[in-house]
Amino acid sequence: MNDKVNYQRELDEIRALFGYDFMALALAEPAEYHYVIKWKYASGNLNERFKDIVLQSGRGIAGMVFKTGKPFMFASVEQDVPRDAMFNYPIIRTERLTSLGAVPVWNDTRVAGVLLGGYRNDQRVTLQMMQELNELAHLGIGALNGKEYTPS
Amino acid sequence: MKPMHEQEQINRLMSKLYSQSREAIFFFNTAGRVLYMNPAAERIVDDEVLRQLYEGHAETICRVCRGYMSETELRTCIACYFTNPESERFSSFQVYLDTVGKGVIPYAASYHTLADEDVHVLMLRDLSQQFKTQESFYQNKMMKHVIHAQENERRRISRELHDSVAQELMSAVIDLRVLKYMTGEEELLKKMRQTEESMTRLLDDIRNLAVELRPAALDDFGLEAAFRSHFKRIQQSYGVTIGFESNLDQQRYGSELETVVYRIGQEAILNALKYADVDHIELMLREENGRIWLIIEDHGNGFDPADDPIGTGLGLYGMQERAELVGGKVSIYSEKGKGTRITLDIPIISNTHGEGQ
Repeated sequence: MNDKVNYQRELDEIRALFGYDFMALALAEPAEYHYVIKWKYASGNLNERFKDIVLQSGRGIAGMVFKTGKPFMFASVEQDVPRDAMFNYPIIRTERLTSLGAVPVWNDTRVAGVLLGGYRNDQRVTLQMMQELNELAHLGIGALNGKEYTPS
Repeated sequence: MKPMHEQEQINRLMSKLYSQSREAIFFFNTAGRVLYMNPAAERIVDDEVLRQLYEGHAETICRVCRGYMSETELRTCIACYFTNPESERFSSFQVYLDTVGKGVIPYAASYHTLADEDVHVLMLRDLSQQFKTQESFYQNKMMKHVIHAQENERRRISRELHDSVAQELMSAVIDLRVLKYMTGEEELLKKMRQTEESMTRLLDDIRNLAVELRPAALDDFGLEAAFRSHFKRIQQSYGVTIGFESNLDQQRYGSELETVVYRIGQEAILNALKYADVDHIELMLREENGRIWLIIEDHGNGFDPADDPIGTGLGLYGMQERAELVGGKVSIYSEKGKGTRITLDIPIISNTHGEGQ
């Protein structure tokens, strides 16, 4: 599939540009899979387990960004996520992330994807970095044009 | 009059009863002074009061008495038994006394007059144990009601969401699909596709909500089916795999028993997700020798049952409570660094044809 190659290459390039340890892109599945949200592409991943995660709207990191259309971050997983709430964020566990942030990827005024970047060491995601990632997402990724909904 | 030797025996027994009884017995004269009190009575009051009682101060008993229960009040001194010994109601009543070491406790009391002697007798029987038994019985009953009510309400809302709300939304989605064939306009089609997408996702959200409240599969197909679909969702949402082994097949039990097993299984899995830090959990469900066994096991962090719980600790308590509703028992085995095993066993007899809920 041509699309797939593009997304993967773009994701690898974005990761190289920003210097994240791990990046992933969540997209909605086609109609026959009920448009569920899954992590479709990853760069710098430790394993393939991210592919098994199916997110419900409003659940998990991608689910929340998808629903709210707002960037989201855990500057420090250790400090920001209570231990007994960690199970809500399987991607943190499977990829052993210590700091992460995610931004919505828009397409025709709808949230169509979620772009996540994270670290596994003591580097921390900052608001500044989130803003940069958000700006990049607004330029569009793959087939998504990045056009956000703006109430007139 | 009874023969002499019988009378003697009665006297002997009565005096033994007086000195050995656990019931407190006080003899008062008409002025309200203590004439005699038995050892059980002496144990109730503190030394100072005891001395005053024996010295014959009137109404010393009021220093320990905290009122009696009347028709209108829990504790009152109005129309006290002490001043109205003739009143019918004091043949048996409830009184509160401030006792040594045990604080204020309730007693079943009787206050009567010995004819021709001008002596009143106050007899007290400790009710605290009885009250405790009654209370725990009542609590258990209330808990049962609350759990039933909760399950019923969840079932009702779940059915409503699934049968009514989701159905209605489904037909709207189908209408929308039909609509797509009625136009060739690209702009319109794009908008319709977007709407269909969000409505389909909304439909799934509603269905998920319904299943989370109470899976219809539990009522319609039984434990095994309900567990299997629950585990599939856990695997998808949390990336944790669950090994499930069962010998129940399609076997059905009383609705109450099935609910207890399902809820305890759910709670145990949730605990493992939260605290064990594992990628895999084992769950075993079997019927053996007239009992249902549910075993949930992980090889994760584990904990020391003696430690303070990390969470509220109510989860484990709730499991025990639920199990008791159907005469079952939950045992928890856990060791730090080794993992946790939770075992539930319930006798099937008397639960097979539960009256439903």
